[in-house]
Amino acid sequence: MRIEVLGPGCTRCKETYRVVRQVVEEAELEAEVVKDESVERMMALGLMATPGVAIDGRVVLAGHIPGADEVRHLLGVS
Amino acid sequence: MTNAFVGPAPRHARTTAPHVRLAVTALALVAASALYGQLHAIASGLTYSILGLSPGSRFGLAVEFFLFEVPKVILLLTAVVFVVGMLRSFFTPERARQLLAGRREASGNVLGALLGVATPFCSCSAVPLFIGFVTAGVPLGVTFSFLIAAPMVNEVALVLLFGLFGWKIAAIYLGTGLGIAILAGWTIGRLKLERHVEPWVWEIQSRSVNAAIRKSWPDRISEGRAAVREIVGKVWIYVVVGIAVGAGIHGYVPTNFMASFMGRDAWWAVPLAVLLGVPMYANAAGIIPVVQALLGKGAALGTVLAFMMSVTALSFPEMIILRKVLRPRLIAAFVAIVAAGILVVGYLFNTIL
Repeated sequence: MRIEVLGPGCTRCKETYRVVRQVVEEAELEAEVVKDESVERMMALGLMATPGVAIDGRVVLAGHIPGADEVRHLLGVS
Repeated sequence: MTNAFVGPAPRHARTTAPHVRLAVTALALVAASALYGQLHAIASGLTYSILGLSPGSRFGLAVEFFLFEVPKVILLLTAVVFVVGMLRSFFTPERARQLLAGRREASGNVLGALLGVATPFCSCSAVPLFIGFVTAGVPLGVTFSFLIAAPMVNEVALVLLFGLFGWKIAAIYLGTGLGIAILAGWTIGRLKLERHVEPWVWEIQSRSVNAAIRKSWPDRISEGRAAVREIVGKVWIYVVVGIAVGAGIHGYVPTNFMASFMGRDAWWAVPLAVLLGVPMYANAAGIIPVVQALLGKGAALGTVLAFMMSVTALSFPEMIILRKVLRPRLIAAFVAIVAAGILVVGYLFNTIL
């Protein structure tokens, strides 16, 4: 699984990246977590509200900092 | 920047069932509204009985004002941000773009401004939003109506205006803010400034259909809670400091003190208020309580409204962000047109009220 955290590098995106990493760490997922700050990538994914999270090239979250519960739900971790 | 990472670290994930969180949220709302009704009694009880300050004294009045206004505004803010956060989960930039693409001017500007208010927006996503809009065929002026309305007419400003000034001023702010966004966007569209958008923007391939994120009610509730965590978590300190300063002004600054330099007779007060508002962005929540206190000391309403609008709509950080996609002339045009709109609103209210 490849998880991308997208955003122009503001504090909200950094916080999202931190939450996602923490959940992946806690659940011991085999996942690559990447932070991408390029507008080109956001446009390629069709993302217009940051922070955004994409799993294997599909946007699953846009426009707000997720809580840990929400990220677990998105990643299918119970 | 790219950080790759594959993770172990054993610890058990704690998850709360959705219906438990729903019940907790509902309970919190009921408790908050019960508390809201009792605030005045609690604040004066604390001030005069428990702290033992003498009724009518300057210090007593200031403390009572502070103890009443802080919980009132924070409760109101939390409730409204939660509800707005939930409602906003129905609006996405993708949906706004679909509705606005290929629109004609005028009606497009009106719809753009309204969607700008309804759609969740953070000035840090101004660039992807701008590119996504214009490359999908949303007219430049309509895009600007959206981008002007989104930060100016926001729930934090409206709650503070409602809580501290009353619903009439909140409504005036909402109406004139929308008016400025519509007219400024329309003017930018008429001026045909498309060539002052950075050329690389037009070459970006933006995907027009986004894989729609399906949301259930528990998702929407958790978005409302996320909004509270994010927004109230950030602005509460400004509210507290702002109300503390406001309380001091209420208690100690003589009435009509402000009339000489923020009153309606000082013609230069409105432009000065606009100028002062530009570098202040994050502090909007703290500025309103101070401004409310100043209004009580003879500052004119139009001047106050102009200041508020300048703080929210003309933010220096956002201009720097937009510089990535807009050439300086277009930024200058944007600032000049919006500032002109704000000046008109300021003078208008100083004249008619």
